[in-house]
Amino acid sequence: MPRTVIIDLSSHREILWAAEETAGAIRADQLIVASGAYERSVPFPGWTLPGVMTAGGAQRLIKTLQVRPGRRALITGTGPLLLVVANQLRAVGTEVVAVLEAGRHPRWPQFLVKARGEWGLLKDAFEYWRGLRRAGIPLRFNHTVFEAHGASAVEAVTYGPVDPATWTPIRSQAEQVEVDLLVVGFGLVPNVELTTLGGCDHRYALELGGWVPERDACMETSIPGLFAVGDGAGIRGAAVASLEGRVAGITAAEHAGLLPRAEADRRRAPFLARLESLLRVRAVLDGMSRIRPGLSELATPGTIVCRCEEVALGEVQMALAAGARDLQAVKLLTRLGMGPCQGRNCAPAMRSYLSHATGRTAAEVGRINPRPPVKPVRLGALARMTRAMPADDPFQATIREALS
Amino acid sequence: MTRASEIVVVGGGVIGCAVAYYAAKRGLRVTLIDQPRRGRATSASAGGLWPLGESIGLGCGVIFYKAQLEQGKVAEAGGPSQLPRAFLDFALQSKALFPTLAGELRETGGLDIELERTSLLFVMYDEADEAFARPLWQNCPCGRSLTEWVTPEELGRTEPAVTRAARGALRFNGDDQLNPYRLADAFRASARTLGAKLLPHTEVRNICVAKGRVIAVETAAQRIPCDAMVNAAGAWAPEIGRMAGIDIPVLPVRGQIVATETLPEVLSACISTTDCYLAQKRHGEIIIGSTTEETGFDVGVTPRALKALTAGAIRAIPFLEQVNVKRAWAGLRPGTPDELPILGPVEGVASYYNACGHFRTGILNAPLTGVLLSELLSGAPLSFPLEPFLLSRFGAHRDTGASRVGRAR
Repeated sequence: MPRTVIIDLSSHREILWAAEETAGAIRADQLIVASGAYERSVPFPGWTLPGVMTAGGAQRLIKTLQVRPGRRALITGTGPLLLVVANQLRAVGTEVVAVLEAGRHPRWPQFLVKARGEWGLLKDAFEYWRGLRRAGIPLRFNHTVFEAHGASAVEAVTYGPVDPATWTPIRSQAEQVEVDLLVVGFGLVPNVELTTLGGCDHRYALELGGWVPERDACMETSIPGLFAVGDGAGIRGAAVASLEGRVAGITAAEHAGLLPRAEADRRRAPFLARLESLLRVRAVLDGMSRIRPGLSELATPGTIVCRCEEVALGEVQMALAAGARDLQAVKLLTRLGMGPCQGRNCAPAMRSYLSHATGRTAAEVGRINPRPPVKPVRLGALARMTRAMPADDPFQATIREALS
Repeated sequence: MTRASEIVVVGGGVIGCAVAYYAAKRGLRVTLIDQPRRGRATSASAGGLWPLGESIGLGCGVIFYKAQLEQGKVAEAGGPSQLPRAFLDFALQSKALFPTLAGELRETGGLDIELERTSLLFVMYDEADEAFARPLWQNCPCGRSLTEWVTPEELGRTEPAVTRAARGALRFNGDDQLNPYRLADAFRASARTLGAKLLPHTEVRNICVAKGRVIAVETAAQRIPCDAMVNAAGAWAPEIGRMAGIDIPVLPVRGQIVATETLPEVLSACISTTDCYLAQKRHGEIIIGSTTEETGFDVGVTPRALKALTAGAIRAIPFLEQVNVKRAWAGLRPGTPDELPILGPVEGVASYYNACGHFRTGILNAPLTGVLLSELLSGAPLSFPLEPFLLSRFGAHRDTGASRVGRAR
């Protein structure tokens, strides 16, 4: 079903789908959710200025729309994606003044020992790093953006070093640089709206990007027959995602009675072994770019933290003063997270802020409950809802073929 | 009295917050214990203040009636039943408190409840709707002064967004709206300013009754001795009542609602039809409600309800077809067998007071409920007769079989 979004998932595995003109419900015995991830927003003064964009946004401009996003760029954030974007920008003729990595310098020898057997995962990152070196773009570790300046668009950026352990900005050593593009990439957040609506148990795992569904070794969640795979179940990258998808697919087929147990075990075994090996290396990578609480100190009371509802940090601070201790209470007092994005953009940053400000754990600070529709849908599409499946369903045929 | 009484209010929805506010205003020492539950009705309210509409079965009532009719569950008998005069009087008196209250809460708690004079329009599509509306207009229990028959031309002029296919409307002046979350927040913030203590995210574990009197309320962390306690636990009131040995015939009645994206001001009145009601809030979104379902504590939304509500909304306001849905969710109304709230003392358990069972009108009836409870708690004369709302109207309250909602009608 192309151009179709899932807008709800009930606890008995019924999904609600919507397309441009219509919508419908499908009850599945086995359901695999591969909902992916979205980019983490980190609010700092000036982050809503035109010319400040996420790493993904910059890539989209370059690759899909074939637009050069700016003339002179600073790149800030954490993780290998920053290096990728630096090289892509350079290729379209943007001058990259520096890449600021909030994390520490990887201690290569030590790192390489741990990555034994999974060189492939590192080779690309190494290539990008070499590209940067060759172009003379400085890569500064334990540095990050402090503020973006400009009247109607970004004109300059203040940045500086951060404490290596907490990423707390060290403002006394701030520097300024003139740029017309600031690319920000603080990693990804798993999209767990559907598994949450579906009633799956979740846990907070900072190293995996935030809240993730609990799963067994075969990717099944706490709801029998409901599987979660890929970055939507924890940020681990594309290689891990495709292996998880295979394991979940085989297990779903086994549950559905299409594969005998022994055959399913035989088919799963190589993928599970490969996963184990990959995850060992991922753990090291994740540890380096794990988001740290000091970033919460970048925003000032005037900084917008919820873009949909234009809520400033000062309002969140007032809500805290009025007794709010969790995201839900802050939401009701300020409208934070009540806009179309349902808190996808503001909740991760505000979760760390509330934890930082109140000393409470992420679990205590809680979540903004997702509510359907998790993707935009018109009233007209819902009003024309049908129980019937779309007539032409090439997907079903493909599945049958794959299993036969 | 040598010291102010210690009052524990259980439940931090709009009713508990109202009771805490009015009790604190009278100088009582109040502790408000709040364990937010998914589906609390305060968070799923449209914020309509419709004393007339609600008492004659508009809003959810007429939608539910039509659904029942279509399923053959009721005989054609001229529309949803009306609630007794005591309900209307209570609702009117509570409604009359809002203008002053809005100022008080702004002063004390610093929050605007976004009270708006809107009126309520019952929009008619066909002969059956007209046949239902005409006697309401002619014999409205509030008299003719507050109602107005609106011709299709007048409707087109005052509410251009409403469908031209309408055969006119019946307007109820005095039925207005506010922001329901803000009302609860403002009561809570003002109660705090007046010295009430809040225990958020705290579950009541036990109610200590000694010699026929409530003497303390226990949470996981502490025992709070008290001179009186108020059960304002909404759909969860039976759980709390049981701890004091009292059976409360309250059942969760699910209502699903849909909110649109933020829109420019397109509706000046609140709209009620046989399919849905619509209210545009100060922030610009239109709230579309609502179902009436006995499905236990399930707070999910259903495809059937989404379809019915959105189709109903488009029928009333055709341009909504192209508008995005921002959110759909559900709340659990605390329903009672006769649809009236359960207020006041209970025979045999001294120092225990009910403030529950507000069904569809918790927002509207919160102020007078708060006033009455604060009067009871401080021994002041009552501003409204309590008899029709006492638990004892259902007979023996220590019975275990709570009767089903709506059966008594």
